[in-house]
Amino acid sequence: MPAAVAAGTRPRSGVAPPASGGGAERNRVSRYLLTQTLSFVVTLWAVLTLVFFAVRALPGDAATILGGLDASQAQLESLRGTLGLNRSLPAQYVDYLGDLARADLGTSLRERRPVVRVLLDRLPVTLTLAGLAFALSLLVGGLLGLLAGLRPGGPFDRATLLFTTVALAVPEFWFGFLLILLFAVNLGWFPVIGLPPQGLTLAATWNLLLPAVTLAIPRAAQLARLARARVLEERGSDYVRTARSKGLRAPSVARHIAANALPGVLPLVALELGGLLTGTIVVEQVFGLPGLGLTILGSIAARDYPVVQGVTILAVTVYVLVNWLADLLQLAADPRLRAPS
Amino acid sequence: MKRVRLGLLLFLLVAGSALLAPWLVRHDPLEPDYRARYAAPSGEHLLGTDGLGRDVLSRSLAGGRVSLLIALSATGLTLLLGGLLGLLAAGVGGLTDTALSRLFDALLAFPGFLLILLVVAILGGGAAQTVLAMGVAGSPVYFRLTRGFTRSELRREYVLAARALGAARPRQLLRHALPNFVGSLGVQAASTAATFLLVEASLSYLGLGVPLPTPSWGNVLQDARSYLTRQPWAAVGPGLFLAAASLSFQFLSDGLRDVLDRRE
Repeated sequence: MPAAVAAGTRPRSGVAPPASGGGAERNRVSRYLLTQTLSFVVTLWAVLTLVFFAVRALPGDAATILGGLDASQAQLESLRGTLGLNRSLPAQYVDYLGDLARADLGTSLRERRPVVRVLLDRLPVTLTLAGLAFALSLLVGGLLGLLAGLRPGGPFDRATLLFTTVALAVPEFWFGFLLILLFAVNLGWFPVIGLPPQGLTLAATWNLLLPAVTLAIPRAAQLARLARARVLEERGSDYVRTARSKGLRAPSVARHIAANALPGVLPLVALELGGLLTGTIVVEQVFGLPGLGLTILGSIAARDYPVVQGVTILAVTVYVLVNWLADLLQLAADPRLRAPS
Repeated sequence: MKRVRLGLLLFLLVAGSALLAPWLVRHDPLEPDYRARYAAPSGEHLLGTDGLGRDVLSRSLAGGRVSLLIALSATGLTLLLGGLLGLLAAGVGGLTDTALSRLFDALLAFPGFLLILLVVAILGGGAAQTVLAMGVAGSPVYFRLTRGFTRSELRREYVLAARALGAARPRQLLRHALPNFVGSLGVQAASTAATFLLVEASLSYLGLGVPLPTPSWGNVLQDARSYLTRQPWAAVGPGLFLAAASLSFQFLSDGLRDVLDRRE
């Protein structure tokens, strides 16, 4: 395994393996990309099929909800006809996939407008919240893990351990409570709840900081744990000993360790990023933020199934997509994965 | 071993006080006392009272009984579901294996909390429904673990020897393969129980889990949110008990893993 050894001793090299292996590597990489992409498509299809059946298993159908309690049987039947609900399940399934391909998610029963519009209205709040939380957890989690792993057993490591243990022992909304009490009620730096009437403006982004911190706490903790473990693993390897014995200074050694350890954290980062779109549900409820989370909760309660289906489709698509991208990114960040196994 | 003991002690403390609550506390968890609303902790109410004057300690203990029962049952279900089907897939192989693997892959490709939310929405809220939803959502991990372990054990020589002696497939799986990785499943299960405690709390907090008036840690916290600024104590009590319980599972999981690692 010449390429793997080279990459192991010279972590940031990115040097292509010997010329003779160049074409073979490209072949291997493109085959890998192809299988990954195929499995992405198949997974997405499977997940969307699961959503189709799940939404149809929800109690009561759209006609009974639209028609109301005093609709006659005949009225219900004609409603089902216009909604296409009286057709066979396979026929509905084909329609469903066709509509998806045209980005048509149906019409909200409650708001009487296209689901896509509803989602686009609510998306900015959730995306900003998720983006802030993601950046925070990446920064804090990565840094804590790296610094703790570089000096295991030290005071910083112990403090990090305490933080991660507590952060993972309590549901995130409980930290939301604490943050509200401390920063909104006692210090008055933030509003206790919600957004100003004009919605999400640049100034109102400030209101999203507490919810973002709430979301970031357990995610940063998880990331810190994994990053620390990866750093510890790398610390014991030969190239680190070589680098130290030739007199390389600590920051440079740390840079080498980070370059080798951090790609291994990517799958978890992807899981977290992909899960943030649904992770916001609870936090949006705690802070009263009108995003996708409050939308899906309200739609479940009001049996507005097209919207439930729409949010679910959006969330799972993003989830699958992010995980696929992370695989590709890991391949780009870690030359060892491109080497023959 | 130290951490296993610490985890066990913490668990027995929380679970024991939750079970023995009727003999430990003076106040009924559901009984309002309008003269004692929003009371701070005192000798009478050790953790204060909530917006209806109900004793927070009593409610934390009563909620613990429900939340712990749900988390543990869901862990059992997910272990059974994923484990048995994993054994089946590895033991039978062929089309059964492929079909089951694809099914669990699809489940795993779903963001977990959303899956649980949808299943609860389909089945309606309630303790049994919550258990079922979490049991299903957690199972892919156990399916993968069990299937992987079983496949590697079945290739070992001692299984071959058992086969040569005429052991049937079920016996090979349950008597020979399973005991070799049951410890690893236990490590994972303890950590799953901790996660399920938090998930149950979130679901009940959203009003989708255990319906009121039956207290669970989640819906007691939901109730506390509505007067959080007036009575923070109502949120502190159940939060501390919840943290102690999930920490106990975390300690058990970490400790058991250390014990297993050392043995190898």
